[in-house]
Amino acid sequence: MACIIALIVFSIMGLFSATHRQLAREAFDCVFRRVTFRPCNTGFKEKIRGRIIGKLLKRSVALAKFSNKYFEVFAWIFFLLTVASTGYTIKGGYNFYRYGSCNGLNQGGFCAFDPTGKNNATSSVADGSCPIKQPTTKDLTLSAVDLELFQSKKADSKNDLVFVGCYSCDYTRKAYPVVKKLLEKENINYTFIHFSVKNENENFPLYVYAASKIDQEKYWRLNDLFFEASKEDLQSQEKIDKMVIKVGYDLQVIKDEAQKETTKQAVQKQIEEIRKTHIYGTPTVFINGRSIVGPKPYRVYKLMLR
Amino acid sequence: MNDSSIQSNFPTLNKRKSIEEFVYFDNACTTLRPKSVINAMNKYYEEYSVCGERSLHKLGKMVSDKVHETRSLVARLIDARKEEIVFTRNTTESINFVAYSIDWKKGDVVLTSDKEHNSNLLPWIRLSAKLGTVHAVVKSDSNGSIDLLYLKELLEKYNGKVKLVAVTLSSNLDGITNPVLEIARLGHRYGALILVDAAQGLPHQSVSVKKFDVDFLAFSGHKMLGPSGTGVLYGKKKLLEEFEPFMIGGGTVVKSTYNSYCLENIPERFEAGLQDYAGIIGLGEAVKFIQKVGYKEIARRDLELNKYITDYLCSIERVHIIGANEPEKRGGIISFYVDGADSHMIALMLDEANIMVRSGQLCVHSWFSDKDIQGAIRVSAYFYNTLEEAEYFTKTLSNILKAV
Repeated sequence: MACIIALIVFSIMGLFSATHRQLAREAFDCVFRRVTFRPCNTGFKEKIRGRIIGKLLKRSVALAKFSNKYFEVFAWIFFLLTVASTGYTIKGGYNFYRYGSCNGLNQGGFCAFDPTGKNNATSSVADGSCPIKQPTTKDLTLSAVDLELFQSKKADSKNDLVFVGCYSCDYTRKAYPVVKKLLEKENINYTFIHFSVKNENENFPLYVYAASKIDQEKYWRLNDLFFEASKEDLQSQEKIDKMVIKVGYDLQVIKDEAQKETTKQAVQKQIEEIRKTHIYGTPTVFINGRSIVGPKPYRVYKLMLR
Repeated sequence: MNDSSIQSNFPTLNKRKSIEEFVYFDNACTTLRPKSVINAMNKYYEEYSVCGERSLHKLGKMVSDKVHETRSLVARLIDARKEEIVFTRNTTESINFVAYSIDWKKGDVVLTSDKEHNSNLLPWIRLSAKLGTVHAVVKSDSNGSIDLLYLKELLEKYNGKVKLVAVTLSSNLDGITNPVLEIARLGHRYGALILVDAAQGLPHQSVSVKKFDVDFLAFSGHKMLGPSGTGVLYGKKKLLEEFEPFMIGGGTVVKSTYNSYCLENIPERFEAGLQDYAGIIGLGEAVKFIQKVGYKEIARRDLELNKYITDYLCSIERVHIIGANEPEKRGGIISFYVDGADSHMIALMLDEANIMVRSGQLCVHSWFSDKDIQGAIRVSAYFYNTLEEAEYFTKTLSNILKAV
């Protein structure tokens, strides 16, 4: 069993050092002999054992004696741990490929392939209130949400994508180009929901709603401009006005529309609808009803499509 | 010379701050080199690294003089004549030289002991396969040295067919020295030539080829403080003169035409190509160092260390010493195996404590196969080892044996 462990360990270490490559070869020879029902008489196991027990001996004779006595047991334990950890590694690799996180869809925790956890990072939507129960991934849903209240592009597709994001949020801004690329390459029914979780210009949501109501086509261009602009620009009324004018809106018409009571009520209604999704951070993307929280690599979104 | 003055000559030993950092007990494999040997070799490379024995310029002459000096030193060391000393790369090459040079006939017999190093076994096995010679093994007696009665029996059995008796002077397996004088007398009586593998013996005891009356004697420089890649074959002048060099070329001829050549005198005719001058010069310094320490002192220190370690090992039931229990019969070598413990494993555990020993079948696989012993640990001391080191070894081994 020690030879198998050694083969795995030295094979990995052998990628970086010639000395370990030689040891890996010896371990392989030993393992090969075993699997071909021949005795492993290369002395490799004894060498490994000698080195390990020799090191322990420097610390404690009793520890060395104990380790030597149960060496085979330890080897088996390490073998099983190695098998288990290999299984977890493969599963983690698959999860990372499939969901952008080693731990599964929308699951946090350490991931060697994404050590900083950037694929799961979100801007929290917590508003300071103390809910009885914190929402989790399982709570995320679109079932009770009236999507008709939001801006969408119908493409007569079997795939639906709902992007809940915030113009001023870093992670939404990171996810947006990826989602946009997906929309350009694939035929998808698309709904975008702006959910302001940062301190933005107070008129901003009203402008957004007004713009979408007045001219859908210009709205999507304005939407792109908001994501291209810096976060500081989105704080400035003057800069927002310039962007509105740039895409061809009449600024006064937008301002007038934004000031209407009906607009304010509509925006409020949208916020209430968004709360029904139980999202806890942006971006949250729903593809065919399945939620994906955080900015994921392109492949993750693509694999969710039918 | 006391311990510290001896050790101060060895840079490898000088580097350590305490013995726990480095204890070298693998001298039967190769010894450490004294500063004088290293300096002599460096001096050659730094000051006169040119061709010897063919270039007549001043530097060339310096090299030739040094080579001649070493040849003389080696000749004096073994009580031979200068022209009987052939420089080789090592003992193995020297023995193969003899194996290739003797005019073998089918049915000729080679006798060896049962504890020969592969270097003094494999050439004879191959010879039997290629030329139809016969290789027979003389068993050791209860003391571990060659059984003279059995040798006589075989000499009689093959009645004049034994062309060569090739034996080790001291076994690298257990350090036991064979009675070469008696072997040579007996062998010569039956018309056999005598080849002695002195690789392990010469570093520890004085040898007189005249007194022993051996025909060939082979040894290596690296086992007696000299550089690696240096070896010597002594051969009786009249025998060497009969030998056809198995390698010829530069340095081996007086002159040549397009279709003939005239060989140099011995020993140069056997030293083809440019020689390892630095190594040969280093070997000369090694011989000087050994003579300075003296074989008497070497033997005294061998015995002191061997006795200390043997006494400890004999007190442990699981430990079996290979060869005679009496340390005085084993030079600087103590080979042993432990019931229920692998020799490599123990050697590596010793290595973790920075004690370097040899383990396994020690290039004497034939003996281990015959005895069905898996391997052994060989502790081999030399005159620069100390009792303090032996104490550290026994203390460490004691802990190891508690653990395994």
